[in-house]
Amino acid sequence: MKAAVLREANKPMEIEEVQISKPGPREVMVRPIAAGVCHSDLHFMDGSYPYMLPTILGHESAGIVEEVGKDVTYVKKGDSVITCLSAFCGHCNHCLTGHLSRCNSPEVSRKPEEEARISKAGSQIHQFLNLSSFAELMLIHEHALVKVREDMPMDRAALIGCSTTTGVGAVFHTAKVEPGSTVAVLGCGGVGLAAINGAAIAGAGRIIAVDMVDSKLDLAKAVGATDVVNASSGEAVGQIIEMTQGGCDYTFEAIGLKATAEQAFQMLAPGGTATIIGMIPVGTMVELHGVDFLSEKKIQGSNMGSNRFRVDMPRFVDFYLNGKLHLDQMISKHIKLEQVNDALEALKSGQEARHIIMFD
Amino acid sequence: MSRIEVESEITGNVWKIELKVGDKVEAEDVIMILESMKMEIPVEAPSAGTIVEILVKEEDSVEEDQILAIIES
Ligand SMILES: [Zn+2]
Ligand SMILES: [Zn+2]
Repeated sequence: MKAAVLREANKPMEIEEVQISKPGPREVMVRPIAAGVCHSDLHFMDGSYPYMLPTILGHESAGIVEEVGKDVTYVKKGDSVITCLSAFCGHCNHCLTGHLSRCNSPEVSRKPEEEARISKAGSQIHQFLNLSSFAELMLIHEHALVKVREDMPMDRAALIGCSTTTGVGAVFHTAKVEPGSTVAVLGCGGVGLAAINGAAIAGAGRIIAVDMVDSKLDLAKAVGATDVVNASSGEAVGQIIEMTQGGCDYTFEAIGLKATAEQAFQMLAPGGTATIIGMIPVGTMVELHGVDFLSEKKIQGSNMGSNRFRVDMPRFVDFYLNGKLHLDQMISKHIKLEQVNDALEALKSGQEARHIIMFD
Repeated sequence: MSRIEVESEITGNVWKIELKVGDKVEAEDVIMILESMKMEIPVEAPSAGTIVEILVKEEDSVEEDQILAIIES
């Protein structure tokens, strides 16, 4: 099969012919129809998150089941599915208490002594987050996918596989935003926009979008922001505290920087909660002013929207199909696998929404 | 001769140990692979030398800043 292989950080991916193994007893072969190019692919490509190389990036996709392993009963050939990197084992403490996105069990991957899922001329190509969707086929654990309605367009469905789940989930599950509350979202990329849309669905009274790019603030308004702040002035914290007369009940950091994580905490009202969604580079420390804890401000992390994706994703599909979840605006361009490097460059520039790879 | 401690950057599990005591390494050679929140993270030699100690085994859980191996150069 054809795939975009990353052999060295900060170098373009090359389209190569690679080999994919056969489904093991609990594995499923998925033929992706659409794959989003996500900002976190960029973190791994530029080495700010180290990863085993060579690898095939991509972790936001939707497609059709091609073949199932002998013990798989949940899906069959021809089913429409969304994949998710939050593969769950189903029996660890995290899974059994409903926190599937925290599951860290290695059993959803193959063991070191087993044949690799993806290889080239006998040497392993490391599967990315148990998915690797910049490829014509994906061989994944049955717990890394969810069945969805067949009337869901696959390019929109792909977005639900990561950015929607991460942003909307952070609002619904991690922070549990209350109707009427005041929310600020720092960063209006795919995940930030999803958080804004999620806050609107959750009934937040005021939703303040913060970004440095005006076109993204326009998108933010289109998906539910009530106010926008262009942070280029460097005065965002003061401006938001003034606008809200004392700070926000909930803030969401969707960039992955020390400075914006600290600002998300600084712009809270007493008792408010900052949720850090962005991937802050490994080794970076975040500093908070200790006295702020006296006003009961909270800060927490959110990984993949604290999802229970087999429940959440079909609900998000319904939200899209009944007009509450705005996915059409999130896609700026449909591209071919061969153009994946350009899509990552466009993300780096911060000017554009998402590119979606369409497979024929 | 200097002893270089190779530390873990993150909390996770040892998925696979690629090299053994006595092996010669160049800077950035992968000594072992850690798994953390579904990510396969390489532990690389910070500089060239010889591995004199590996302090963990496969499936061990490791903490951030834990010393995983020692290289002499
Ligand atoms: Zn993503
Ligand atoms: Zn589990």
